[in-house]
Amino acid sequence: MTTFKPRRLLLHVIIICIGLIMLYPLLWMIMSSFKESTEIFQSNSFWPKKFTLSNYIEGWTGLSGFTFGRFFLNSFFLVAMCIIGNLLSCSMAAYAFAKLSFAFKSVFFALMLGTLMLPFHVTVVPQYIVFKHLGWINTYLPLIVPKFLGVEGFFIFLMVQFMRTIPKDLSEAAEIDGCGPIRMYWKLILPLALPALITTMIFTFIWTWNDFFSQLLYLSDVKMYTVALGLRMFLDAMGQSSWGALFAMSTLSLIPLFVIFIFFQRYLIEGITAGSIKG
Amino acid sequence: MKKMIIGLFSIILVISLAGCGSSNNGSSADGKVSITISWWGDTARNKKYNEIADEFEKENPNIEVKRQFGSWNDYWDKLATQTAGGNAPDVISMHPNYAADYARRNTLLDLDQYIKSGDIDVSNFPKSVVNSGKISGKNYMIAQGVTTSGQVVNKSLFEKIGVDAPGDQWNWDHFVDKAIEVQKAIKAKGLKGTWAVDDQSIQYQPVFEYYLRSNGKQLYTEDGKLGFTQKDVENWFNMWETLRKAGAIPDAATVNEYANVSLEQSLFAKGKLAMHDIPGNQLYLYADQMKDSQLEMVRHPQGPSGDGEFVEGAYLSITKSSKHPKEAAKFINFFVNSEKALKIFKIEQGAPGSTKMNDYVKPQLEKGQQQSLDFIQKTLKYAGEAPYPPKGNTELTTEFTNAANSIAFGKSSVKAASAAFMKKAESIVNNQ
Amino acid sequence: MKSAWKRNWVGFFFLGPWLIGLIGFTTIPMLTSLYFSFTKYDMFTPPNWAGLANYIEIFHDPKFYSSVKVTAIYVLLSVPLQLIFALLVAVLLNRGIRAVRLYRAAYYVPSLFGGSVAVALLWRQVFDSEGLLNSVLGVFGISGHNWISTPSTSIYTLIILAIWQFGAPMVIFLAGLKQIPVDLYEAARIDGANKFQQFFKITLPMLTPIIFFNLIMEIIHAFQAFTPAYIVSGGTGGPLDSTLFYTLYLYQKGFTEFHMGYASALAWLLLVTIAIVTGLVFASSKKWVFYQE
Repeated sequence: MTTFKPRRLLLHVIIICIGLIMLYPLLWMIMSSFKESTEIFQSNSFWPKKFTLSNYIEGWTGLSGFTFGRFFLNSFFLVAMCIIGNLLSCSMAAYAFAKLSFAFKSVFFALMLGTLMLPFHVTVVPQYIVFKHLGWINTYLPLIVPKFLGVEGFFIFLMVQFMRTIPKDLSEAAEIDGCGPIRMYWKLILPLALPALITTMIFTFIWTWNDFFSQLLYLSDVKMYTVALGLRMFLDAMGQSSWGALFAMSTLSLIPLFVIFIFFQRYLIEGITAGSIKG
Repeated sequence: MKKMIIGLFSIILVISLAGCGSSNNGSSADGKVSITISWWGDTARNKKYNEIADEFEKENPNIEVKRQFGSWNDYWDKLATQTAGGNAPDVISMHPNYAADYARRNTLLDLDQYIKSGDIDVSNFPKSVVNSGKISGKNYMIAQGVTTSGQVVNKSLFEKIGVDAPGDQWNWDHFVDKAIEVQKAIKAKGLKGTWAVDDQSIQYQPVFEYYLRSNGKQLYTEDGKLGFTQKDVENWFNMWETLRKAGAIPDAATVNEYANVSLEQSLFAKGKLAMHDIPGNQLYLYADQMKDSQLEMVRHPQGPSGDGEFVEGAYLSITKSSKHPKEAAKFINFFVNSEKALKIFKIEQGAPGSTKMNDYVKPQLEKGQQQSLDFIQKTLKYAGEAPYPPKGNTELTTEFTNAANSIAFGKSSVKAASAAFMKKAESIVNNQ
Repeated sequence: MKSAWKRNWVGFFFLGPWLIGLIGFTTIPMLTSLYFSFTKYDMFTPPNWAGLANYIEIFHDPKFYSSVKVTAIYVLLSVPLQLIFALLVAVLLNRGIRAVRLYRAAYYVPSLFGGSVAVALLWRQVFDSEGLLNSVLGVFGISGHNWISTPSTSIYTLIILAIWQFGAPMVIFLAGLKQIPVDLYEAARIDGANKFQQFFKITLPMLTPIIFFNLIMEIIHAFQAFTPAYIVSGGTGGPLDSTLFYTLYLYQKGFTEFHMGYASALAWLLLVTIAIVTGLVFASSKKWVFYQE
């Protein structure tokens, strides 16, 4: 750039140093994914003695005719559905809580938060029975349909907080122009709450991608397996584990998450200008 | 833009609904029956189960075998939920740790009728193996692989420090003396971070159970009460306290650091232990990891009342909720008695239950696996019967680990920890 | 002025999907677990009514108290530390410096792992006796220590793990920072406010709704923390119950010991506790959270 700024340099040095601490475990995992399986725990060296791709080949092959490619596709499908579900249902509920007034609003809001406070372990069994009665076991439905019905209170609350920061004069002006609540939701509030929507998208992507417990319970057929379930196949506490393959596939499974984050953080952070409101 | 989103959304919804239509209750119009089997394991083991199921389907074209699996913890979490939801698989893999919890809560089918009818043939199973699948006199489980536990010895390490490795005939006093002798030699050689033996004081099952049995006691009595006294617990912990004071077992922090690691990461696999307790069927897995060391399995020490051995293993059970128990029984029989299945499964979960299959499998094994099988076959001769635990065995195991740890960390004395454990144990057993 | 009837109609229209979900998928399991909490229920045989027995037993259970202690330490330390760290990094990375996008992504990486098994291994890589931390300390001549398996330090390694995975609140802070109108800063600059004054006079107050959100959610999450302890201690909560988080204990009771009634009672006690704590934060929010309404 123009002149040498020592303070700027110091800032970069600090950011990079902390960044390395953040990244060290990831780098270790990537390095391990290129090691021979016996080397991973027997040596403390960071670099592989010799680079091998065998972990990637072994891991990708998976089992019984299904490669990891299939698991990636299944995960993408599941994630896409969950994102659509969360964006629609949570933004609608959030709009109601943030911008509309109706009977028992605060009671409902408290209930919404309350549903987040019970550890899921004790609701697993009754929930399983509900889905069994619906005939949804071993389908994606138990993982998807609830998202369309706003069970993720986290995102509703998140959007409520963002929508409440939208100045009131904006919505009042729109109302005077004869804008009804549905148009207002679609044309004004949603564009203005874009950072919250993008955040919801990113988090839904990452959390659904990584969540294995509900996928474990409801998906039994290997052909429906997701990446999260596929990764757990490499481990067995009672026998031998394929660590090399696990690291290799874990590394691959982080790539989509990383790409999504890099791609969407632009929309999240780099300027939603006033101009974009008029769609 | 809006239309595009809505369009996309409806397409995906249609696909997802179409993809998961028909619910299956196990039989269809063409007379084909489908059963679900489940097991725990990693990719390598999954492959074997899948191949066996394929073979079974080939032989029984009217039976479809659906498969479910998970790693150890996942398997049990899922099975518990499915069982609670009345949706358990037809054939499930069972392990002695959980068998009592499932059998005593009325979730498993008594297989007696299928054994009598000949659907499941156990005529080639030794009596002790058949009985190891019985809980309160009922045949709930058929062994797919049996094993006994023992001490694996790193012979190369023994040679390095110039101490004679132990043999099969020894008692607990010899064991303590040997460990101390080894530790002295390790110290003389200047080996850092190496110990004679791991801290087995936390091993409620199986090592403490071996100890009790060799002293004429049991972990549990037939009617589900405790088979030991506070004195036995104190003696046990005191023995390990002696080894701890001699430095022959790792300190508490190190023990805990390695408490939940996989086989590959364990202290023994890293060559830091001279002796370690493992189930016999795992010997070859360690041998795979430690290519430079010579390993050997020896029996657990014996006591004044003789041998501690009892049959452990992995089993197959049929659930009570199964709609096709006859086909499920057929599958189990195929799994444990057919050459086609054993050719694939070999000693994956221990020695095959049937002696005939043992003879069939043995020539096909690699050297390490043969060593495993030899050890199991040798020790099975000494094996007696061990009554199954009452409900609440897992709780007791946790309490025992806690007692052992509080002694190891120096938080309480042997006497106090043993007394506290006994009090808790009795209340757990009596409250079932 | 719209009629109250129409207002309600519009409100419930937007709330509709959520209401169906609440009744269909959330309320039934929750109420069932509430019922279980008053029964002896082993998952496989039908529950037997036991009245308050579970709740009374809980207060005589020493493990309950150790799990409460562990969880309390975790909540009290991890929530504020993680939030402060996330806010500082968000502010630091919300500037027009070079390569800022790369930095943001790098800082988010730890959170991509979620609760995968890899985390447990990585965590050992850092904190076990031959781990990274001890090698670094070794350079300074300080001799190491088994951080993860010494009861007095194990919980703190989990708190550090929580802080390390600070990406979620950081992203929410970043999104919140972008919502602050730029003209406010321009006006302040004209008034001669320096960077620190701008931060305390504009950034912080304008960000309070987001801080409030992050605080509430992190409290709820920290109280229910399960995955870190589960994956690093193999579900045992050891050594000596030093990482026995409340939900881990509840899981053990329910899924490994088959006392689902007892576990449900534990869960409902937790719900009441979290409700009280978040209720207090909500009550205090009127004093420090500013909405543009």
